[in-house]
Amino acid sequence: MEKPELRYVFEFIPKLLSSLHTTLLIVAASMALGLAIGVLVALPRLYRVPVLQRLSQLYVSFFRGTPILILLFLIYYGLPELLKLVHIDVTRTPVLVFVILTYALHSAAYISEAVRAAVEAVDRGQTEAAYAIGMTGFQAFVRVVLPQALAVSVPVLANQVIANLKDTSLAFSLGVMEMTGKAQTLVAATRHFIEAYVSLAAIYFVISLILQKLFQIAERRLLKYEGPENAEPSLPFKERRRRRLFGSSAMRLPWKEARADEA
Amino acid sequence: MIELKEVRKSFGKQEVLKGISLKVEKGEVVAVVGPSGSGKTTLLRCINFLEKPTSGEVIVGDLAVAAGRAHRKEVLALRRKTSMVFQQYNLFRHKTALENVMEGLTVVRKLPKAEARERSVRLLEKVGLGAKLDAYPSRLSGGQQQRIGIARALAMEPEAILLDEPTSALDPELVGEVLAVIRNIAKEGITMIIVTHEMSFAQEVASRVVFMDQGTIVEEGPPGELFARPKEERTRLFLSRFAPEGSYSI
Repeated sequence: MEKPELRYVFEFIPKLLSSLHTTLLIVAASMALGLAIGVLVALPRLYRVPVLQRLSQLYVSFFRGTPILILLFLIYYGLPELLKLVHIDVTRTPVLVFVILTYALHSAAYISEAVRAAVEAVDRGQTEAAYAIGMTGFQAFVRVVLPQALAVSVPVLANQVIANLKDTSLAFSLGVMEMTGKAQTLVAATRHFIEAYVSLAAIYFVISLILQKLFQIAERRLLKYEGPENAEPSLPFKERRRRRLFGSSAMRLPWKEARADEA
Repeated sequence: MIELKEVRKSFGKQEVLKGISLKVEKGEVVAVVGPSGSGKTTLLRCINFLEKPTSGEVIVGDLAVAAGRAHRKEVLALRRKTSMVFQQYNLFRHKTALENVMEGLTVVRKLPKAEARERSVRLLEKVGLGAKLDAYPSRLSGGQQQRIGIARALAMEPEAILLDEPTSALDPELVGEVLAVIRNIAKEGITMIIVTHEMSFAQEVASRVVFMDQGTIVEEGPPGELFARPKEERTRLFLSRFAPEGSYSI
């Protein structure tokens, strides 16, 4: 191991960023697929479909209860064997597909629980109003219930995206050249461990921050129908800064209180 | 127009409707009154199968649906012939006033957007909310929300409108604006069944009043008659609680 030098951090960051697109592709594709599967998995439990309901429960507990690294191996090595039995050959399928599938199935388990809770939280009256104007069950779900449920579950979905982002660092164990994989090669080439991992940590952290901010904006947009227009009157800058630092509870300064008593 | 034949409804062991038969002619405004827990709201909700009756038959226009073998498509057709105004308004929270009224027209009736929009704007103007087209329900008062609810119900051009205690959730000072809107549409000859606690309003606007108690219809008749000279003891007892304030003796 070489002596740590700061300049390597700056040297490594652009090199690692050259693999960022793979990381983001895994996150984006697996979230999109996971959201679709998650909603589908939530349905049987929401509508209490006899047998499917149990299967959906089993699905959720299996994918939540198994480490993602093991899932990666199971799906990458196991799925082709299973498919061979029905004469489907997937040996030429890129590794990335298996990785995305694994993360999608894994997030779907969490998403389905979030969606289920959010759907059940939507007021029953919303569905009744939809039925009363003659919507079918499907129309009521897609047009009225789901949009409200998804808007409410944005914070949970944001968590899942960030968890996924960090979990993509395991994909290199199947040889996928995403950022962590790239870091490994930099380490192997230069033996500057610490710099490589510091750069890597910094990148993951910054991307998480950006994602958090984006989701905050998305949440505000999606929930713009909630609450009166001027629910939060704009405060002077000093007050906003104080609240950001100390929270919104009214902070009493002892000497000011004393003065108030005198008056 | 609307007919209920021996409609019964039980929740578990408790029978809430004990064989209700009721006929409402086209253009009638029927007010259903009675103490809470008497089954008025359940009766109303059985008409559009938001509650599935345990037995009996519901007829709206030329469509007869029997409780036992109600097909999904029949229920849908029944709901498309009626519309409902809810006690809690139940406006679609994520849609603006205009979108709330348009929703059924574009999704259920499959009208072209422009036409749906035009009709919805007209209806919202009619209920006095032409200036609030793009407001979300959460930013409107209860009275405004309920008037949108009424516009949404009217938009579907139903054969009858079912109103479930349309003013019960409102602040007293907002009741008037909603009643005014209902009064106006009553004049247009739209068939309505209103479950209400507003006795004076029922007396004024209804062409017939139905008094329910403990899951049965105790008595019905023109408002002038039923309020002034109730035949049944139970009706008299119920109405006495709504007597004008001055008439209490202490």
